[in-house]
Amino acid sequence: MKARINRGVLLTVLAFLLIAPLLLPAVGFDYWLDILAEILIWSLFAASVNLLFGYVGLLSFGQALFFGMGMFGVAIGVAKLGLGFWPALGLGMVVAVATAAVAGALAVRLTWHYFAIITVVFSLIFYFIALSAKPLTGGDDGTSFSMPPMLTLGESELSLTDQTVQYFFILLVVGFAFFVKYLIVRSPFGMALMAVRENDVRASLIGLNVYFLRWIAFVVAGGFAGLAGCLFALFGRYASATYMFYHVSGEGVVWTIVGGAGTLFGPAIGAALLIIVREELSNMWEHYPILVGIVVILTVIFAPKGLMGMWNGLLDRLASRSADGTDTDEGQRQAMESAAAPVKGEAGP
Amino acid sequence: MLQIADLTKRFGGLVALDRVTLDFEADVLHAIIGPNGAGKTTLFNTISGMLRSDSGSVRFRGTDISGMAPHRISRLGISRSLQIKSVFDSMTVAENLWIAAQAREGVMHPFSNRSRFSRTAGRVDEILEQTGLEGLRDSPAGTLSYGDVALLEIGIALATGPTLLLLDEPICGMGPAETEATVEKIRHLAESVDIIIIEHDMPVVFDLAERITVMAQGGVLARGTPQDIADNAAVREAYLGDEDDDEDDEDEDGFDA
Repeated sequence: MKARINRGVLLTVLAFLLIAPLLLPAVGFDYWLDILAEILIWSLFAASVNLLFGYVGLLSFGQALFFGMGMFGVAIGVAKLGLGFWPALGLGMVVAVATAAVAGALAVRLTWHYFAIITVVFSLIFYFIALSAKPLTGGDDGTSFSMPPMLTLGESELSLTDQTVQYFFILLVVGFAFFVKYLIVRSPFGMALMAVRENDVRASLIGLNVYFLRWIAFVVAGGFAGLAGCLFALFGRYASATYMFYHVSGEGVVWTIVGGAGTLFGPAIGAALLIIVREELSNMWEHYPILVGIVVILTVIFAPKGLMGMWNGLLDRLASRSADGTDTDEGQRQAMESAAAPVKGEAGP
Repeated sequence: MLQIADLTKRFGGLVALDRVTLDFEADVLHAIIGPNGAGKTTLFNTISGMLRSDSGSVRFRGTDISGMAPHRISRLGISRSLQIKSVFDSMTVAENLWIAAQAREGVMHPFSNRSRFSRTAGRVDEILEQTGLEGLRDSPAGTLSYGDVALLEIGIALATGPTLLLLDEPICGMGPAETEATVEKIRHLAESVDIIIIEHDMPVVFDLAERITVMAQGGVLARGTPQDIADNAAVREAYLGDEDDDEDDEDEDGFDA
């Protein structure tokens, strides 16, 4: 039942995401289509944090580094090197993955807080490099560029300057990335990552190369963050070192923890929720991060597996209630009925 | 099968292994006994690559494995259980065994569904039956009783298809019935796999082992059949321990005075 409900919810969300470009302008919420696109991008960024923290047990505060590398790859590719849409996207990915490969080789020698600290350090180093390399990155001002067309067929062009095209492009890329993550999680490789997360000593004793698995996961996560950065650069036609700063990484960690680390869609839910909170509250109350802080503290204390964990726990409880309801033992059933009467209707068929 | 030569391991000033030289022959069930701090677990840790020795060598079926990483030693066919039981807590019993079995087949299949690996699934069923954990197949390993975790440890070690099994106090924490059943399982396993077992339970050791090695203070005190060991005066002293020593000391003092 749990799997069926979750599949239903997933399909509903997917359907909403697909008709959103029609639906939102129709009700006068054009502006929210861009927010939705932004949520999609940041949920991919949260997926990167989650792959490391939720599946391999490495808490990285440096994923913004690869996000920033993807951004600058695209922006510098278009603005400075005169690349087209796809080559610039490719450059962003190559730069992000290559940085992750080098940084990962050093970082995954460490675990726990040492790992967290070294990821912060890497991200700070590159943040200051990006700030000072003004000719290349634009320093404080960042690098802006004008959008090259995605596809040119004779006279007509397909370009992200069209809001709907841009939205569907982002949806497609993020959807594809989540599908890849889904494949990874249910594969032998994904199981090996979880084994490393659970018990690295035992994992090495059964013949798993713990260092190599952590490194590969780090590179893949760097690729996810880089892809999110590429999309964000295209979305804003802009790259800036501020997105490399570790507080951006921290936001990814917060979304992951609130949504539920180690679940496929939890971090996306965390990102969506907190971005909506930000959009709604930041105009009215500049200290809204206080509220975010409170939400995080409450989650860590009362729902350590995040919103997704809470939701799954709720479904499990409902499932066991309805299973108890079918028990044929007369006395037990009567006791059950009186105790569970109010929820019977909810649990339903 | 396993040759250990001049193996030394120091922790600061403490010599945990002091030029240990041992030869474990194949097809014999070996036991290692000795008081706490004798260096038994350090010996296992060095064989399995969890610790690097300061000097000396370990050769397994002709290959020098000293200084190799644990996962490479594991792939050569040495599997071990840990004294402080350690499994993959949030994974189910079947998943614990699955990843151990798949580790040998290769895990670098990032895009294929786990359920497609039917050979691994078959191996999991086999081990579940061998260890008697079928009923707990879908229970998270973290919810098992201590005795069942100990069985799961052995199961994980077996799932990697080892040719040498190092068991570190496998029955520690088990009740009498579980102990008896586990001892029978180990005896049965020994028909197909070489086994070296560290154990404190003397009746179990003398019942199971065909060859016993006694360690004390980082060195080898005695080796032999259970009968040899039972008759060995040095071993009796090491085990009956302090009382004898104290009496000797007092006697000597008496003579001096």
